[in-house]
Amino acid sequence: MNIMNRKVVSYQVLIFSTQWMLMLIGLGLLSQNIAPAKILDLNFPFGQYFDAGVKALVALFLSVVWLFLWDRQVRVLFYREKPTG
Amino acid sequence: MPTGLEQSFTILLAMLAFPLSLILTRFFMSFNSARGIFGIDAHKLDKPRIPEMCGAAIPITLLALSAVYGAFYPQHRLMIVAFVLVVGSSALVGAVDDKYRMRGIYKPLLIVLCGMPVVVLGLFFPGEVYNHTLRVPLFGGFNLPIIYPLTIPIAISVTSNTVNMLDPLNGTMAGSVAIVAASLLIGAVLKNSETGPIFLFASLLFASLGFFYFNRYPSRAFAGNVGQLSVGAALGTMVILGRFEIAGIVAMFPHIQNSFFFLSRIKRFVEHRELGAKPTRLSEDGRLVASTDPQSPLTLVRTLLVGRPSSEPEIVSGIFALFLFSSALGLLTLLLTG
Repeated sequence: MNIMNRKVVSYQVLIFSTQWMLMLIGLGLLSQNIAPAKILDLNFPFGQYFDAGVKALVALFLSVVWLFLWDRQVRVLFYREKPTG
Repeated sequence: MPTGLEQSFTILLAMLAFPLSLILTRFFMSFNSARGIFGIDAHKLDKPRIPEMCGAAIPITLLALSAVYGAFYPQHRLMIVAFVLVVGSSALVGAVDDKYRMRGIYKPLLIVLCGMPVVVLGLFFPGEVYNHTLRVPLFGGFNLPIIYPLTIPIAISVTSNTVNMLDPLNGTMAGSVAIVAASLLIGAVLKNSETGPIFLFASLLFASLGFFYFNRYPSRAFAGNVGQLSVGAALGTMVILGRFEIAGIVAMFPHIQNSFFFLSRIKRFVEHRELGAKPTRLSEDGRLVASTDPQSPLTLVRTLLVGRPSSEPEIVSGIFALFLFSSALGLLTLLLTG
């Protein structure tokens, strides 16, 4: 019988659940608020491309925030520096 | 919408992947052994030599069965052609890497090129290969006519390389991909999807299981880059062709964590063999211990060793438990998607 490290697996499950919920919130923001918005005038030359580019940058920023929160959770739960002395 | 009979036939056809992959893996074990193609199982005390590149059985199985499926369902032929081109070319990149040991940066770049057939065929035959409306759970979806095709090759490269990075222990890659494919297959059947995605997920599931039989602990066959890269590319292509993008990302959470923490520490694409500080070490009793070197990457295996050393099967059990959970979340995501 292979006994896995239950404590670590439980923490990981917690992290995955948190990330999943954050992902749903982020996708909701993107689909309901950011994607329908007209950020740049589409009549400008290449207006639709710039508009798509700005929205892609917003999505990229949200992804970076999402990964940052993931990073913090793993470091706090598993790799926290123990106080010395 | 396919009938129940069509779905059943498709899954039965895909089930042939299991014996085919099993036989091909056995063949490659003998063939590669005879030619001196071996890898060292670094996580065993006696460091056994294991036949490498046996994972070629999976892409060959997928390509052969896809050809059969394409003959039965000509309406999905374009999708199958895109799939075959991606899997075939990524297997080729993997085989070249196995043979000539490319630098770490070349694999992601070359796999980006392998994803191009999906984009090119999609541009020539709009709506027949991929759909640029991204469906998201709970909130409908949004149309991405410019960004979606641009991200396809990157997405395929990411899935391919992330699967490549999470195969450090016996059976990890094949077992985890089988779990992910099984959850997406269940989702496809429950959502009464077209037979195309059902076939692709089922064939990947059974092909992975066929290979897993020889790759599980104690491993008698190693996948090699040829297997890992092509399986990852197949998974990425399937979620795009089947429109299961978000569910696929969720199911692959353990892959994402492993790759992200590897790259965030190392800060460049590098092969495991080139790492100065290894994430784990083998103790004298044969168990694995997490590295205490602050420079070593925070891989998923290292994280699973936090607090206590473990044997290889114990860590693999933990990895599979995480994949079962993420795949269940992926299935839920799929069911919440309109």
